[in-house]
Amino acid sequence: MSGTATRWLHYNLFRTKRDAVLTVVFGALSIWLLYKTLNFVFVTGRWTIIEVNLRLLMIGRYPDAHVLRIAVTVVVLAAWGGLLAGFLRGRQVRAGRLTPADSKLTVARVLDLVERLWIPLAVVLLLLLLSATAGPWITAGASLAAALLGRLIGPFFGRLRLGGLASAVSVIVFAAIPLGMYYYVVTAVGFDDWGGFMLNLFLAVCSIILCYPLGVLLALGRRSGLPLIRVVCTTYIELIRGAPLFVLLLLANVALGFFVPDTLAPATSTRAIVVFTLFTAAYMAEIIRGGLQSIPRGQIEAAKAVGLSPIRQTGYIVLPQALRNVIPAQIGQLISLFKDTTLAGIAMGLFDLLQVSGAITAQPEFRGQGLIAETLTFAALMFWVVSYTMSRESQRLEKRLGVGSR
Amino acid sequence: MTADDTTPGYAPVFDDATAISGDAMIEIEGVDKFFDDFQALKNINLRIGTQEVVVVIGPSGSGKSTLIRCINRLEEHDAGRIVVDGTELSNDIRNIQEIRRETGMVFQSFNLFPHLSVLDNITLAPRKVRRMPKAKADALGADLLEMVKIPEQAGKYPGQLSGGQQQRVAIARALAMNPKVMLFDEPTSALDPEMIGEVLDTMKELAQSGMTMIVVTHEMGFAREVADRVVFMADGQIVEVGTPEHFFESPREDRTKLFLSQIL
Repeated sequence: MSGTATRWLHYNLFRTKRDAVLTVVFGALSIWLLYKTLNFVFVTGRWTIIEVNLRLLMIGRYPDAHVLRIAVTVVVLAAWGGLLAGFLRGRQVRAGRLTPADSKLTVARVLDLVERLWIPLAVVLLLLLLSATAGPWITAGASLAAALLGRLIGPFFGRLRLGGLASAVSVIVFAAIPLGMYYYVVTAVGFDDWGGFMLNLFLAVCSIILCYPLGVLLALGRRSGLPLIRVVCTTYIELIRGAPLFVLLLLANVALGFFVPDTLAPATSTRAIVVFTLFTAAYMAEIIRGGLQSIPRGQIEAAKAVGLSPIRQTGYIVLPQALRNVIPAQIGQLISLFKDTTLAGIAMGLFDLLQVSGAITAQPEFRGQGLIAETLTFAALMFWVVSYTMSRESQRLEKRLGVGSR
Repeated sequence: MTADDTTPGYAPVFDDATAISGDAMIEIEGVDKFFDDFQALKNINLRIGTQEVVVVIGPSGSGKSTLIRCINRLEEHDAGRIVVDGTELSNDIRNIQEIRRETGMVFQSFNLFPHLSVLDNITLAPRKVRRMPKAKADALGADLLEMVKIPEQAGKYPGQLSGGQQQRVAIARALAMNPKVMLFDEPTSALDPEMIGEVLDTMKELAQSGMTMIVVTHEMGFAREVADRVVFMADGQIVEVGTPEHFFESPREDRTKLFLSQIL
């Protein structure tokens, strides 16, 4: 055993004199960095500021009277997600792609899920442990229960055979749930009073949902056979990509005043979403166009030859393959969008996680102690967790969609 | 059928390419095709009868593929008429769609849809174009896979099959629309030698079942055995047309003789 270890060390780290020098230098450097980091996290770091301001960091100055709405929304969305996952499983069983046994929610599958998402789960647990009140615990517990319940009854809906009208109605009802929750939250507290990490997440989710279809349409439009559509799309893409995001955000503060009276002007957060959507759509369009160009001509010819109409050629043959081919670049762009939501705080005065991180160091009890390192580290951790999870999930998606492909 | 007894072209054609017995499934009259300045097809005249199997041979670049790609409008011809089962090809997209529904095509490089299972490759067009219910389409797909002798591969993806199997799926996919004509564009040229036989066997069975077929191929054995007529093309023109016996035993044109001496 020790012989193998020695051999491994010699072969991989100390084979030549130069290897040995590099190993020692970089080994020492790594140990020093690790020591410094751990020392900061566990010894010198003064994390009380995070503990005291946790709520401010997470949801901003959301008033006490309405905070229950956030909790209810989180629980409902958890149930919704569980239901959707279960529903999709049920569909796959119905289509014969999965056996009923595969769609059951077993302990093993739950453990799989925990293993897959252990990093975000660990961070959620850390946040719960930091929180001083019972509210977050109850919310988390209820969300977990709601998600499980949704997942368990979801397959039943997935196996249902509904008529055209009934299924259309249920799809609309199902899609309306998140929208309803959005109104439930936003009617109590207007957009501009949202804050903290919740605001960053919300800006990102809305912009991602809106920019994706727009990006697809722009990409298709740029390749359109109709010159007018092509010119409009190309002009849009090139104009937007030529301007810095920060400038566009600043411009959104004032430019709307040129077109609409102040009373009609949308909330600052809405403007931020509009800017993020329009900006990211231009980049997504170019990424997706790359995907479209990667589809061999033979695919379109085969689709034509079997009699598919141009729209169906695109919808069933070209787009599914094109979007799959550029998953990494697409997710990269969306991660970038998520992190760029901090710019909205700087440019538009929104009270997002980054702004909160700065503001709390000026509180009387923490002023002048140089705590910005702690608060920024916390903010960075929050962004990293979400971004890294997106990245990992995209790799998983890529693998799953790549089944049996060339 | 006797109206077109004079066939223009730089070489006299042995057998009138437009003379067939019975009803015409495809009529090609005076078709020209240009790629920029290059003329790929020069005044092509050809009639293909119902249930006839026509094999098109010729050196590469002679316009064989372009000719059959014009029939289902993967290429647009610049002059002349093409009529498929009584419908003339025009620029009207509905007209083109109708002709594509009537013609199945098999490509050299298979062009299966890699993101769909074998069964979905076959059933996509019947379901979306013919609005066939899923259960019925799946049954049809299973039948067709049975016919091409790979029923066990229905759930797999194209990338998991051998080239020969993929090409047989492609044939099944084309047949799923119940076409009146099948166009084969060098269906065995991209295959490993040991897989050519299985694809040719499938095509032979199809020919025996009475399908009208136009086959561009370099498989002279197939031409000899299955073709009703052989069309020899060179430099964008039809040089010679005849029965396989005539064509292989006593070709008339020097160009044909040269070609046959190069390949046989």
